[in-house]
Amino acid sequence: MFGTVIPVALAALPRRDDAAREHLDNVARRARPVVFAHERTIPVDTGIGDLLPWRGVQRGTVVAVDGPRGAGATTVALQLAAAVTAAGEWAAAVDPDTSLGGLAAAETGVDVERFAVVRGVAPARWVEVVGALLDGVALVVAGVPAGVRAGEARRLVGRTRERGAVLVALGPWPVEAAVRLRAGGGRWRGLGRGEGLLTGRALDVSVVAHGAAVRSRELHVEPYARAG
Amino acid sequence: MNDAGTRTCCVWVPDWPVVVARRTDTALHERAVVVLEPPGSHRSGLVRAASFEARAEGAVPGLRRREAEVRCPGVAVLDADLAAEARVFEVLARAVEVLTPRVELERPGRLSFPTRGPSRYFGGDDALVARVRAAIADAGLGDVPARVGIAGSRFAARLAARRDTVVAPDATREFLDPWPVRVLGDPDLADLLARLGIRTLGAFDALPAPAVLARFGPEGHRAHRLARGLDLRPPVLEPPPPELVETHELDPPAARVDVATFAAKTMADRLLGALAARGLGCTHVLVEAETEHGERLARGWRHDRALTPAALAERVRWQLEGWLGNGAGARDEELVAADAVTGGLTLLRLVPEEVVPATGRQLGFWGGDAATADRAARTFARVQGLLGPDAVVSPVVQGGRTPGERVRWVPWGEPRAATADVAAPWPGAIPSPAPARVLEPPVPAEVLDDDGTPVRVSARGDASGEPAMVRSGALPGGGGPVVAWTGPWVHDVRWWDGRARRREARWQVVVRADGVDVACLVALGRGRATVEAVYD
Repeated sequence: MFGTVIPVALAALPRRDDAAREHLDNVARRARPVVFAHERTIPVDTGIGDLLPWRGVQRGTVVAVDGPRGAGATTVALQLAAAVTAAGEWAAAVDPDTSLGGLAAAETGVDVERFAVVRGVAPARWVEVVGALLDGVALVVAGVPAGVRAGEARRLVGRTRERGAVLVALGPWPVEAAVRLRAGGGRWRGLGRGEGLLTGRALDVSVVAHGAAVRSRELHVEPYARAG
Repeated sequence: MNDAGTRTCCVWVPDWPVVVARRTDTALHERAVVVLEPPGSHRSGLVRAASFEARAEGAVPGLRRREAEVRCPGVAVLDADLAAEARVFEVLARAVEVLTPRVELERPGRLSFPTRGPSRYFGGDDALVARVRAAIADAGLGDVPARVGIAGSRFAARLAARRDTVVAPDATREFLDPWPVRVLGDPDLADLLARLGIRTLGAFDALPAPAVLARFGPEGHRAHRLARGLDLRPPVLEPPPPELVETHELDPPAARVDVATFAAKTMADRLLGALAARGLGCTHVLVEAETEHGERLARGWRHDRALTPAALAERVRWQLEGWLGNGAGARDEELVAADAVTGGLTLLRLVPEEVVPATGRQLGFWGGDAATADRAARTFARVQGLLGPDAVVSPVVQGGRTPGERVRWVPWGEPRAATADVAAPWPGAIPSPAPARVLEPPVPAEVLDDDGTPVRVSARGDASGEPAMVRSGALPGGGGPVVAWTGPWVHDVRWWDGRARRREARWQVVVRADGVDVACLVALGRGRATVEAVYD
């Protein structure tokens, strides 16, 4: 792999020798200790991936997912968890109001053998529990209860960065996030007036991501593509 | 490096436990017999071995006792007598040992030895096989249905013994080719290979070795060597260092198996511990003993993979049974008397004959990194410590009708078993997709028709009107007009139970609430309407 590097005497290197310059660049690239964000990306192959910078979630960052109830925020969060378990990592969810649908998680593609849900967490212990989970799993979907203070949220941002995990804050996230996704509902398909069955929906999701090319855009996501 | 396999002779007695059982009770000769796994093992209660007659009726090893009895009525069901199995096999091993000193036992019922020397001495493979058969017939065990096979590797010899055949020296690969991959003894790998369309050892053999190693890891590499008719050659060729020999003096001399076994257990632990410290595992161990009358005994035991302490201790116990088998339960006095030990054991020694690098635990195929799993498990345990064991749960999908029934939440660390069959028909089940929010308990709601009167469902499942408006605290903005709906599905829940019985009707509705189309599941039961789940 590294056998192709030929030692070059720097003093003799002409400034316009493009081949040698390129060669040096290659050497520098190999020796570079910096790991860029997109190199720490967990790819998201489901529909939501098209919206995300580098088509995935970056380790060490917070993804805030928000939207009115029923508009699809939970589905978006589960898709991110599914991508992480598909990559062989573990995921957890904090579900303060004990309503997360386990079957929906499985249908979205979450590998339920590598997925645990912490239910019924009192708001006073929420920060502690989310922090503990960030230590051990690659992605935490945390339902944000009302009244989380900005200071506490920032502590979790720091913890997330430090542990190289991904925090998916589901609900009103009071501080900054690398990516903000907002589910805005969408048209349901399959159901008529007294007939048919729900088969899927075109979900409107808007994205705001700083530090990346994608600023804000809307896309239709088929959340139940896998459900068949 | 000579990489070819060692030409080996394998002697195999099918269903050895049955043979042993029939020796002690001649009445069993005419009957179908199954022998159960010994109590206490994790397979306890399953059939360990079955006689030919029982197999013909379908009572094969691995079944539960009851299942075997159903398939083969009148079958004699016996408990395994591991001690007797080992003891009687030692007699057979001794008979074969007359022909060659290099007898290696694999387990009671199967032994093997390299044929190079004995074959030349006795005038060829066929002559050797005849000698082996004669020796077994003269061993005093009566008519033992032993099968003898010779082939170019240890693994091939084992298969040759199944066919009771001698494979020509250059025909080992041709002999192996048609066997199914199942015989490699790794069900997971065999399953995977079959799904990739590789069904025979010949097809597996045709793959390039580096590609097999890259794709299937060390276990696959190992299986590939077997399929190619090679031995699992230990990459460490020098003999194991002498200081690893584990010696234990027994004072007072041990005349009983259990006394000696107790010592052997610690020795096995120590030996494998010392090997593990050097990153080695042991595949062939020599058990040596001396008696108070100066007799010296030795016997080699071979195992397919690196021995675990439990497996090694078990083999030593089998061997001790063979030597000292005059303890409780021995019914073969005449066998033991022949050339058995005359006194108690004074010394026990375990010599690692063949060591291999310990490859450690194999990691999961689909990126199931053991370290990540450990870390996650520790984290979940810690949160359970904070909030109680029931606070951390994991979903198990099971059978049922409503989204709530379809999932069982299992506290982390408990066995993930579904209580209701997924495959069973669940008439009236709410079809996929599943709602992402299942409200426990359901939130009260009002379902109104066009006239503003609550919708009711009759005993026959007919709705009094079309739902036109749903109001509930579970919906944004408190609910709104119904855009689309289907239903009702009527479930007669627990109709067999007079008190718990209730009738429920469900609609899938899309409500335009606060400008967003919200799909939800509305239930009507006992005169109350509720929102059970929201498709979020």
